[in-house]
Amino acid sequence: MRIFALLLLVPLVAFAEPATVIRATDLKQEPATDSATVAALPENTPVEALERKSGWTRVKAASGEGWVRMLALRFGGATPAKPGASGLTQLFNVARTGTSGTQVTTGVRGLDAEQIANAQPNPAELAKLEKFATDRDAAAGFAAQGKLSATAVDYPKP
Amino acid sequence: MRIFLLIAAAAFSASTQAQFRLPNLDINRMVDTVKNVGKAVKEIDEPEEIAIGRDVASRLLGAAPLVSDPRLQRYVNHVGRWLAAQTERPDLPWQFGVLDSPNVNAFAVPGGTIFITRGLLDRMRSEAELAGVLGHEIVHVLRKHHLKAIQKGAQTSLAGDAMSAALRDRAGPARDKLIAFGTEMYSRGLDKSDELEADRLGIVIAARAGYDAYGLPSVLQTLQAMSAQDSAVALMFKTHPAPGERLDSLGEKMQPVLDAYSGQAQLADRFVRQIKTQVTR
Repeated sequence: MRIFALLLLVPLVAFAEPATVIRATDLKQEPATDSATVAALPENTPVEALERKSGWTRVKAASGEGWVRMLALRFGGATPAKPGASGLTQLFNVARTGTSGTQVTTGVRGLDAEQIANAQPNPAELAKLEKFATDRDAAAGFAAQGKLSATAVDYPKP
Repeated sequence: MRIFLLIAAAAFSASTQAQFRLPNLDINRMVDTVKNVGKAVKEIDEPEEIAIGRDVASRLLGAAPLVSDPRLQRYVNHVGRWLAAQTERPDLPWQFGVLDSPNVNAFAVPGGTIFITRGLLDRMRSEAELAGVLGHEIVHVLRKHHLKAIQKGAQTSLAGDAMSAALRDRAGPARDKLIAFGTEMYSRGLDKSDELEADRLGIVIAARAGYDAYGLPSVLQTLQAMSAQDSAVALMFKTHPAPGERLDSLGEKMQPVLDAYSGQAQLADRFVRQIKTQVTR
């Protein structure tokens, strides 16, 4: 559990993932459009993504290191498949209840398609959910603590 | 227009039947059918939307309970309620819950209930990312995406009169069917256009609330880096357009908004503090 917590604390810098530039894009010295261009990366250039800062990602490419628009990057599907944590949990649930997750209608909880489709009401949890709800004033106070202020932004035209 | 088509369809099917038993053609029955179909198409009002949402939320909580941590639940409610206050439906009974599941997913329930899983929260890095995801879910509620899908689907799976019975009698068997159908919707997903709309408008809502507009794209990029074979993301991938496609669509349509509000708050520290407390506890 503690190790898990530590993993969460590892800063963004730690991620070094293989990625690809999906369109021709400039590799910038700083995360800004008006910054100097280190290199022009052609479409499909493989890079290593190192760090993200808002709309920019720092990458290492054969032609140098710098920042590219994060929306110009896609992470490769090359990462090997690892069993998800939920897979383990489901196995655990099945082992504990001795039933198969695909056929039962009750008993095995979880959020896969089958389990959602067969879910039964849980009024006790619903009551808890309602208890945790907050009002607009409390939310505004919370926002102020974080120095968040509301701005007018229009929805895009459909 | 829709009502007209349905009435026409009902009349047509009634007249097809009539061909086989012309002698005792039951005009009254035909009229009843048309009336019921008309009723089912009628807009579901806000109290009804909220009531349906409560029942669906209760079922989803039957699939996965809340994380047993009042502080975490309140934190997510604060972020969500602040976002919801920036929208055209600020006074719905908004409530937000973290579901105790390692799966990566989030759900919007009609009437203002939003769920996010522990698994998704664990993969986020800042409050701006949380705001991006909650903003997306809030849009589903604002635009009644699920409510409309439930209504549309229920009309074909439940007969028109069963639908009106479900709305009339909140304890009857027709109601049960409607809610079961509404819950199952979350295992099948919405139209792609609804999801892409929720992405676009969700970004606007996060920006209005003062958050870095790149929160949602950042989460999408995290998801994109996950293997589709990972069972934690299986349902989310099945019910949503691929993260890469969603990023493409945002890049195409939202770049100006993203850039204009990219310098706003991320609140990574506040977020990590909340998450950390919960995990090391």
